[in-house]
Amino acid sequence: MPSLNPTRNVAPTPQKVADYIILPLTLPSLPSLQTIAKHYLYIRPHAPKLPDPDSERSLFIANVPIDATEEGFRKLFAEQFDGGRVERVEFEASVPQYPTTRKRKEGSGGQNGVRGKKRKRDDAEVVAEGVIEDEETRLPRVWGREVRESGSSAVVVFVDRASARGVMKEIEKAVKKGREIKWKLDDENGLGVKRYRTHHSLTFPPKPILQASINAYLTAFNRAEIARNRVRARQRAVPDEDGFITVTRGGRNGPVRIEDAEAAKEKLEERKKKKGVMEDFYRFQVREKRKEREGELRRKFEEDRRKVSEMRERRGRIVPMS
Amino acid sequence: MAPSVTKRRKLSHTDNGDEDDAPFSERFGGSPNDTDLSADDSTEVEDAVESDGSMASEDEEAALAKEEAHEGGRGKESIVNQKIRSQARRDPNTNKRRADIPLDGVYTAEIFKSNMFKLQVDELLEQVRPEYGQKQAPAENAMRSLKAIIERIPSRDPLSVHDAERYLMISSKVATPFPHPRPPRDAKYKLQYDRPSSINVAGSYPLKMATSAGEKLAIDLVITMPSAMFQDKDYLNYRYFYKRAYYLACIAAGIKESKEHKFKLTFDCLNGNHLQPIIVVSPSGDGSPDDFSGSKCRIHIILAAAEQTFPCGKLLPEKNCVRPTCSDDENSAKTLDPTPIYNATLKVDLSVTAYLKLLHATSSRCDAYKDACMLGRIWLKQRGFCSHIRKGGFGNFEWAAIMAMLLQSKPGAGVPLLSSGFSSYQLFKATLQFLANRDLSRVPFVFEANDTNLTRTEGTPIFFDGPRGLNILFKMTPWSYKLLQQEASIAVKMLADSTFDQFEPTFILRADPLSYRYDSVLEIPILSLIQDINEENFNKKFSETCRKLYNVLLRALGNRVTLISIILPEEETWPLGSSKPFVNREGRLLLGFATDSVNSERTVDHGPAAENKNEAASFRKFWGEKAELRRFKDGSILESVVWSQKEGSGPILKQIIQFILRRHISADVADKAIIAGNQFATLIPSGDIVGQSGTAPFLSIMNAFSALEKDIRNLENLPLQIRHILGADPQLRYSSIDPPRTVTHRQMSIPASIIIQFEGSGRWPDDLAAIQRTKIAFLLKLAELLSEHNPELTTRVGLENPSYPSQNQSFLDITTSSGHSFRLRIHHEREATLLERRLKDKTFDGTSREAAALALAVYKSSFLRIPAHTQAIQTLCTRFPAVSPSIRLVKKWFTSHLLTPHFAPELIELLVARTFLQPYPWNVPACATTGFLRTLFWISRWDWRYTPLIVDFSSAEERAGMKADEPTAITTRFEAWRRIDPALNRVVLFAASNLDPEGATWTDRARPAKVVAGRMTALARAAVAALKDNESMIAAGKASLLALEPEMLFVSSLTDYDFVLHLAPRYTRAGKAKKEARADNSMFKNLQLQAEADKGGELVGYDPVTLFTDELQEIYGHAVIWFYDTEGGDTVAGLWNPAMTARRSWRVRGGYSSVPLAGTGTRRGKGEEVTGEVDGVEVEINKEGILNEIARLGGELVERVEILKK
Repeated sequence: MPSLNPTRNVAPTPQKVADYIILPLTLPSLPSLQTIAKHYLYIRPHAPKLPDPDSERSLFIANVPIDATEEGFRKLFAEQFDGGRVERVEFEASVPQYPTTRKRKEGSGGQNGVRGKKRKRDDAEVVAEGVIEDEETRLPRVWGREVRESGSSAVVVFVDRASARGVMKEIEKAVKKGREIKWKLDDENGLGVKRYRTHHSLTFPPKPILQASINAYLTAFNRAEIARNRVRARQRAVPDEDGFITVTRGGRNGPVRIEDAEAAKEKLEERKKKKGVMEDFYRFQVREKRKEREGELRRKFEEDRRKVSEMRERRGRIVPMS
Repeated sequence: MAPSVTKRRKLSHTDNGDEDDAPFSERFGGSPNDTDLSADDSTEVEDAVESDGSMASEDEEAALAKEEAHEGGRGKESIVNQKIRSQARRDPNTNKRRADIPLDGVYTAEIFKSNMFKLQVDELLEQVRPEYGQKQAPAENAMRSLKAIIERIPSRDPLSVHDAERYLMISSKVATPFPHPRPPRDAKYKLQYDRPSSINVAGSYPLKMATSAGEKLAIDLVITMPSAMFQDKDYLNYRYFYKRAYYLACIAAGIKESKEHKFKLTFDCLNGNHLQPIIVVSPSGDGSPDDFSGSKCRIHIILAAAEQTFPCGKLLPEKNCVRPTCSDDENSAKTLDPTPIYNATLKVDLSVTAYLKLLHATSSRCDAYKDACMLGRIWLKQRGFCSHIRKGGFGNFEWAAIMAMLLQSKPGAGVPLLSSGFSSYQLFKATLQFLANRDLSRVPFVFEANDTNLTRTEGTPIFFDGPRGLNILFKMTPWSYKLLQQEASIAVKMLADSTFDQFEPTFILRADPLSYRYDSVLEIPILSLIQDINEENFNKKFSETCRKLYNVLLRALGNRVTLISIILPEEETWPLGSSKPFVNREGRLLLGFATDSVNSERTVDHGPAAENKNEAASFRKFWGEKAELRRFKDGSILESVVWSQKEGSGPILKQIIQFILRRHISADVADKAIIAGNQFATLIPSGDIVGQSGTAPFLSIMNAFSALEKDIRNLENLPLQIRHILGADPQLRYSSIDPPRTVTHRQMSIPASIIIQFEGSGRWPDDLAAIQRTKIAFLLKLAELLSEHNPELTTRVGLENPSYPSQNQSFLDITTSSGHSFRLRIHHEREATLLERRLKDKTFDGTSREAAALALAVYKSSFLRIPAHTQAIQTLCTRFPAVSPSIRLVKKWFTSHLLTPHFAPELIELLVARTFLQPYPWNVPACATTGFLRTLFWISRWDWRYTPLIVDFSSAEERAGMKADEPTAITTRFEAWRRIDPALNRVVLFAASNLDPEGATWTDRARPAKVVAGRMTALARAAVAALKDNESMIAAGKASLLALEPEMLFVSSLTDYDFVLHLAPRYTRAGKAKKEARADNSMFKNLQLQAEADKGGELVGYDPVTLFTDELQEIYGHAVIWFYDTEGGDTVAGLWNPAMTARRSWRVRGGYSSVPLAGTGTRRGKGEEVTGEVDGVEVEINKEGILNEIARLGGELVERVEILKK
């Protein structure tokens, strides 16, 4: 087997790194690529900084293959690790990366909003922009099956704690014994041409469905807009603890057109210009102006001289091509 | 400090200020060469020339006597210095007087083109000026010893021609280089050798006007023959030249016999004029004391005669000096044909001193003259001109002499054309203007000789120098003069360009390579033109044939060509012992044609009207059976010629040339001639310019687009009024490699993007996401209305960019029944404001502001820049017919080298647009091949790290282009980018135009990355080098014109990559097209139509390969640099990004699939087993794993993964 990483033969692959078990997966041999290759998962019991009830029965897996799916992991653990039952898999990153639509939690800042779209200063219930999308209001999906980013991670949530622990032990055993674990091709939910063909069809959702989604969104948006306006009105009216009144958008009909403001500013400047004193009225003005111009010319000349000498340093001499 | 006028004066010399201060003696007489060589020092400048009048050269510029330089020069110095001083004294007053004039011109802007231009010119002159002194010392030693040897050569008594020649051959093995025809055996005159009356170094070398760029310097050693040798009538019938040849042979024999040296001697002809043989002395190269190879020069030994040897009047151009052999009757001379070239050649030998005087006087009178001569030299050299008869007959000497005469006032004619107060640049430019604007072949320029009546030959220019009685341009041919005129007018045009400095095209670039200068080249073996090449009067016959060839082609092609040029093979020097070799039997004549893109493919040539009997008869005689009488739509009945446009009949230019050669030259010539023109155009579909435009293959899509626009505008019930509908796609600007729809490919596979903008309205939501939804609602409405309005249109709304919610989310695909597809997107201005606001809003986190910045860039390019760019390119394509095929060819080149994923199509289009908008030093390209090759040439020289690309679309319009400050602003922006990003991680190429002064629109975010841009340059350089090699092979007669296969420039080896994915052809666009074409031939028409109807446009825009490669970019873009053909090729190549693939310590979030390795840390302890400590484990990119992943992702799309490097 030709190896792309010749250095790997120098020493055996390590089995552990930090508190992660390194689990080698044997990749399937393919018609287009006959070599036998391995993929390495880094696995440990899930231990997030802010534990939640699910973390006890979860495993954290780093470096998942790009074609990993929930189904794929379910099968992997069920078939090769003695019946570990997977409830769900949460992937860290995928392609395409859909904006998350989870609801923002009270007091937790703007972090888990629609990808940072919400502003921290806003009232809890009201989203600063857009609407929080749900099944109904979001745009139809255009990809049938997602793929993962290279080197990204996933959290596998098992049905119970025992299951998670059992699987972890099983993995440790397998690694120690050097049992071959296989990463299987998922034929039903195929990749390749079939997936792209599906994507092409999904790109053009039927008009009624699309229309329905748009309608739902716009209705929700109007509702949100009303709520926002109310919040703003309140902020305008009520001073906060320090006695300040928050300046907010609105207060009159429609947003201010920046273009208009700029046009007005320009006009004002023009008017100022016209009114101004003549610039070449006094002798000293003329003299100064000339001096300035001379200085400018000299500066430019020096600049050009510098450029040419730089050019010479860089390219050597200026010589006609032969 | 107010810049004084003194300063101004200094700058107006091309010399640097400090050089000006140097004593003139140093610059003039101080060099060692003038110390020894001259035996007698003369005291007065004028006398030096007149009394001594001995040395001179007709070769290069004319000559400056050593003697003169020596003492006389010093005398001169004081005068000049005084002059300068007195001027300086006057300066304060002048200064005061000028005080109120704006001082914009103080720093050279007026007297030079710009500061940059002037500084570069200074630098250039500095570089090409040969180093006098140490380096030239060996050459000067060599000249001294040559002089000593020649002076010691004993005289030879007069002998008859036959005896003299034989004796010389036997005693010294030197063959006398007699010109043809050889002297008659029964000649009554005798040949002899006497000590020369003077020997001197002459030409540009002692004048310090020589340039040493590339070629070897030639130093002229002029030997003046004693007048006593000649008789009154020796100017007749070559007698002077026979005597001269014998004299030269005697000198050669004398040097050869001398034992004191090891020089290598050969014969050559001065400027290719076979009447004037010379001796070329080259260094022995063996390190002996005489060896002067270190000086990088050759010494030419040239013969001259005293001015008064023959009466001046006998040698005027209209006189005959070669009497027919049959009659000796002097009285019949008046009816004999004049022999201008013979006369002028003889005159040149006699007037060496006179020109020496003229040039020296001019250079001392006009400070900038020498520098202007040097600029002229460089300019001529870069265009392939020199004094050599076969290379135009216009060289350094001609340039210097013309300028010298233009500097003198014509008595009675008012102010001279040039003024001695001009700067070198002004002199140079004004001389070019003179050359460009005057047609000297029609209106001769006569200098101080009003009574002379000049006989004119068709097309030959005349610049008659009265006082010296010589037509300076006598060596020029009609075609070389036309070429010179054209080059001069191009130069005048480019020097008038106020936006760019054009220094490089004027002086640095070579304009003469065949493949850049000409659109078509014709090759004719000389043997087929003239069978008997050993004939005595071969030269005469040959030049007559060339002239005839030129004339018939000129008449036949008319305004289809702008230039016809004949390029003759070079002649070589020959050894002393043999006679001048005859023409090389393998020699070939090359004819270059610069075509006029609008006229060259015209099918019908209109001749004179039928009533016009004489002209009609001449027309019929010229065209023979091809001429026919036709009645045209406007009722006129004209003689005309019609050419075939059928496939297989070849380009019309080729048809005409073939026909004309057969009719007027000979069938043999027509058969053996090879015509090469626009060879590269065959590489792209419909690459030839058909009829009068290069945009024909795009006609149908443009019509379909305007029909659709009309349909949309006619819709009623649209909620908002339409502001505009704009094309935003290469297919809508004539620049996609494949035309959108062909006979075999009825359905467009990629929809052409268009942009629609509605009038402003306050009812749009003020929220990014909501705007996207509203757009979809609009598109749905539009689709519904369109289908109602025109049932032949198929519409469907599609979604895009699911990962980037702030970018455009939707589009509308419209497919017409004719098979055209368009992808319509809505442009809403408010998006930009909202994105900008988000960008500035500090309450957003970094990622979403980054996303906003990206979305803003995408918005700007897709809704503002691309439509504007599309319109600009559209205009350009209709203005210059060759733009469209050139762009497509250049894109083909990029895509063949798998570079297209890294280069925005707009960027490539800009590169080509530059070739057309700043074509200098050439004219605008007239066919795809020249457009393509010149673009490659420019890319190969593009120093993108330090130079921005600036394209000025407005320069094509009537009102002249960009204002002067615009390029400056762009350059400032460019420099700013380089300052913030010196490592070129973000913006590598910088391409701005007047429409897009930001310059990074197409190249931001490392598109292309540095390594890819480097590859582009390397590939372009390789291509340019291949062309150059090929060209020198052609010039040397070693390769045929067609030796270079166009495909060669489009193939690069895959071995440079780490791995290659071979895709299954049935999924690639190219593969599909092939299959379709095959099916087209085999299937019945009705079945085929049915099959197409079934598809119903469902698959329009479906391209699995593109989806796959896009995903590869997105998933592995940071770890692998991908190279593939975006036009449907089946190869995807990859390079592991060395920055990402290096071994490093383990991390949870690796960013790519990794393979753990026992780190170096564990290997330290020998007995220790591999443990799981963090510091003990390192990772490397898992190459095998990733390739396996890629193969899984591609599925059946990937046929084979080939690993090239491990």
